[in-house]
Amino acid sequence: MKKNVKMCAAVLTGALAVSTVLTGCGGGGKENDGKKSGELPELTSDRYELDESTPAWKLDKKENTELTWYVNADWWNTDWGTDTVTRKIKEDLNLDVKFITGDDTKLNTFFAGGEMPDIITILDASSSAANSAAKWALPLNALADKYDPYFYQVAAQDTLNWFRLDDGNTYGYPDYSNGQADYDSGQLKASTAFAIRKDIYEELGEPEMGTPEQFLDVLGQIKEKYPDVIPFGSHSMTDSAGSLEADLQNFLGVPVENEDGTWYDRNMDEDYLTWIRTLNQAYRQGYISDDNFSDDGTAYEDKIKAGKYACLFIGGTPQRSGPLQIWRSSHPDAEYIAIDGPQSTVGNAPTLAQAGLSGWMINYITKDCKDPIKAIEIFTYLISEEGGILCKYGVEGETYQINSDGLYELLPEVKDMQMNDNDAFKKTYRLSEFIVFGHDRYDYLAADKPESTLQMQEWGEGKLKSQFVIENIKPDQGTAEARSLSAIETNWYTTLTSLIRSGDDAAFDKVLEDHKQFRADNNFDAIIKIYNEKMEKNREKLAGK
Amino acid sequence: MKKKGSKVQKQSLGIRTKQWFVDFKNQIPLQMMVLPGIIFMIVFNYIPIYGLKIAFQNYTVVDTLDSAQWVGFENFRIILSDKYFWQSVVNTLGISLLKLAIGFIAPIILAIMIYELKDGPFKKIVQTISYMPHFLSWIVLGGMLITWLSTTGMFNQILMGLGIIKEGKNILLDADKYWWIAVLSDVWKSTGWGTILYLATMAGIDPTYYEAARIDGASRLRQVWSITIPLMKTIISLNFILTISGLLNSNLDQTLVLMNTQNQAKAEVINSYVYRMGLSQGDFSYATAAGLGVSIVSVILLVIANKLTSKLNDQSVL
Repeated sequence: MKKNVKMCAAVLTGALAVSTVLTGCGGGGKENDGKKSGELPELTSDRYELDESTPAWKLDKKENTELTWYVNADWWNTDWGTDTVTRKIKEDLNLDVKFITGDDTKLNTFFAGGEMPDIITILDASSSAANSAAKWALPLNALADKYDPYFYQVAAQDTLNWFRLDDGNTYGYPDYSNGQADYDSGQLKASTAFAIRKDIYEELGEPEMGTPEQFLDVLGQIKEKYPDVIPFGSHSMTDSAGSLEADLQNFLGVPVENEDGTWYDRNMDEDYLTWIRTLNQAYRQGYISDDNFSDDGTAYEDKIKAGKYACLFIGGTPQRSGPLQIWRSSHPDAEYIAIDGPQSTVGNAPTLAQAGLSGWMINYITKDCKDPIKAIEIFTYLISEEGGILCKYGVEGETYQINSDGLYELLPEVKDMQMNDNDAFKKTYRLSEFIVFGHDRYDYLAADKPESTLQMQEWGEGKLKSQFVIENIKPDQGTAEARSLSAIETNWYTTLTSLIRSGDDAAFDKVLEDHKQFRADNNFDAIIKIYNEKMEKNREKLAGK
Repeated sequence: MKKKGSKVQKQSLGIRTKQWFVDFKNQIPLQMMVLPGIIFMIVFNYIPIYGLKIAFQNYTVVDTLDSAQWVGFENFRIILSDKYFWQSVVNTLGISLLKLAIGFIAPIILAIMIYELKDGPFKKIVQTISYMPHFLSWIVLGGMLITWLSTTGMFNQILMGLGIIKEGKNILLDADKYWWIAVLSDVWKSTGWGTILYLATMAGIDPTYYEAARIDGASRLRQVWSITIPLMKTIISLNFILTISGLLNSNLDQTLVLMNTQNQAKAEVINSYVYRMGLSQGDFSYATAAGLGVSIVSVILLVIANKLTSKLNDQSVL
C-alpha cells in the first residue's frame, strides 16, 4: 500500500514535468494561418473618415488598442504609461504598448517562427533585416495612403526616398535622420572641434596653428612652459582610429568623392597624410604621449576632467560635454575652447560632418500587425513636431514652460530632479529618453544648453557639409568582401597608430607601404567596386528616383 | 571454439538485459524521479544541438534553420584559411599554457601556506586580501592596469625610482610583454579565489595522520609532501582536467579591455577574434562554426587529460 502511494507520487511528478515542458514548447509552434500576406484591412467609416489635413490619430476614436513593440536593444526602458511622455502618448492615441527588448538572437526567433510583434525597431540600417524588410514589414507609403495621408506632411521626403527598397516601397522610418533640409536649416550643430585650454592659449598670445610648422612650434612652446600637461591628445584609439580618421579628414576638408563621382581614397589623401606626418613629428618630439594609444574611453575622459591635455582634437563634442563641463566648472578660466587649429595644406575649407540620412534606430510595422491603422498613427504622431517636442521637453506646465525668449525651460522641480536624482527623473518624466523617433531639430528650443560645448558649436557654424553619398556603402554583412574590409580596417587602425609612433621618416614610409600592400592582398579592388556601386545607388535615391 | 565464446557472451548479454529490466521495474518510483531531469536535459541541452547546423549554412537574422542557404564547409574553410585566426590560436595557446604553468600551481602553494598558518586574524586578513581581486570585474581591473602600465603609472614610477629606467615607457603598447601582462594579471586576480576548493579539501583531512607523522619525527615540509599533497590528488587532478579542457577558452573580457592596436598581434585570442569577426557583425554562421571547432578540440583535450591523470593516479576522476 505504502509502495503504491510512493509510486503514484513519482508518476505524477514525472507526468507534470513532461506536460510543463511540452506546453512550454507549444507556444512557439503555433500556426500562422497564412496571415503573413500583408493585406491591409479596409478602413471602415464607423472608425473615421479620411482627411488629408488632419492626422488620423485625432480622428480615430477607437479605444484601448494594445500593440506589442519590439526594440532590438536590451537597455530600452519597457515601461508604458507611467511617465510623462508615454502617459501623454497613451492618452492621445488611446493606446497601450507592450515593449519587448532583446538582441539579434531574439530578433531572429521572431523571423524564424512564432508570431511577430506589431512594431519592430532595429538599430542597423544596413543589416540583412533592414534589407529584407519587404518580406516581413508593411510599406509605410501604402499605410499612409490608405489610412493617414497626413504622414507625408511630417515625414521627411529625403528620408523616405533614402529608405526606399528596390520594389519602390519604404518600410522603415529612422530617428535622428538628417536630410539636406536639416543641414540647410542651421539648427544642426557641428560636433567636431580642435580645442585648446583657454588659459594656455591666451598666455601664448593666441598663436596660429594652421600650418604644420606653426602647429609643431606651438606644441613645443607648450611642452617647454607647461611640463605638467600633455601638449596634444585625441580620442581613445585602442580598437579604432579614434578621432584621427574621418573626423580629422572632415576637419581638413578632404573630399569624399573624386570629381567623376567615384569613391575617393580619403586615408591616402596627401593633405591628410601630411598632417599624420606632422603628428608623427609631434610624437617624436614628445608632444604626444604613448598613453594616447593605450588609454580606454574612461582614462581619456578622466584626463579631460583634469585638464591634462593642452590641445584636444574632439570628434563628437556632445558626448564629451560631461567631462568638459566638469573641468570647466572647476577651472572657469581654463575651459577648452575651439580654435581654427590645423588647416588643409592645399587650401580646402573644413567640411564637418554630422549624422546623415540613415539615422540610428529604424522602426517598422510588421505584416502581423494587429492594427496597422493605429500603428501608422503612432508613426505620424511621434515624427510630428508635437511628438518630437513631447519626447524632448514633455508637457507644457507639467515639465516645461516657455520663457520670454520663446525658449523651452524645464520647471524648477523637474530640473532639480534631473540634476540630483537622474534615475528618478528618467522614470518619472523620461524626457529625451523616448528616442525611437527622436531628432535633434528641436534642440535649439532648449533654454539651457550645455555650456561646455556651446562655443565649440558656434565655432562650427557654417562649416557643416553633408556626406550622404558615402553613407552605408560598405559591403553587405556576411560577404567575403565584408570580411576583407573588416581585416583591412583593423590593419588600418594599427597602421595609423604605428605611423604616428614611427621612429623616423623611413619607418613611416615603410608602415604606409605595408598597409597599401595589405589592402591589395585583401581584395581591396572588389571592395572599391562595391563602394562605387553603392554610391551610384545612393545618388539615385538622393535624386528621388 | 570461437563460436562458443560468442554464444556465451550472447547469453550473458541476454541475462544482463533481462536483469536490467527487472532492476528497472523494481526501481520504477525512483526512475520516475529521474525522468524530469532527463527530459530537461534533452530539451535544453540536446535538442539545441540541432541548431549547430547553421555552422554549415549562410544564416542571417531573417532566416530560419530550414530556409538558410546551405554552404557546406565554407565557413570552416574561411576560418582555417585566415592567417589572423591562426595568429589568435597561437596567442590563445601561448597565454593559456603560461597560465597553466603558473596559475595552476600558484593556488595550490598558496592554499598549503594558508593551511599551515595558525588560525587567527593574520590568516583571515591574508585570505580576504587574496580573494579581493576576484570580485573586481575585468572592466574595472583592466582600467586600473591601463593606468598602472602607462608612461606615468605605478610600474614606471617604481622602475624610475629605483633608477632602472630613465624615462617612462608605456608597457601595454609593447606587444612582446603582453603575454606576461595577461598571465600575471590573471594569476593575481584568480589565485586567492582558487585556494578555496583546496582549503576545503584540506579541512577534511584526518588530523590523526599529522599526529602520527609528528610522532614519527616528520618535519612540516615532510608532512605537506607526504600527507597533504597525496590526499589532495583527486581534487588536483579534477582541476587539472577542467583547466586543460578550457585551454582554448581564453579570457574574453580581459582581452577586450587590455588589447590595443599596437599589441593586437600578440593579444588577439580565439574568443576575441570570433567576437569581432562573428558576433559583432551579426555573422551567426561564422561564430557558430568557430565555436563548434573550439568545442571539438576542447573535448579531445578533455579526454586526453583524463587519460593522462588516470594513468598517473590509477583511477579516473571523470
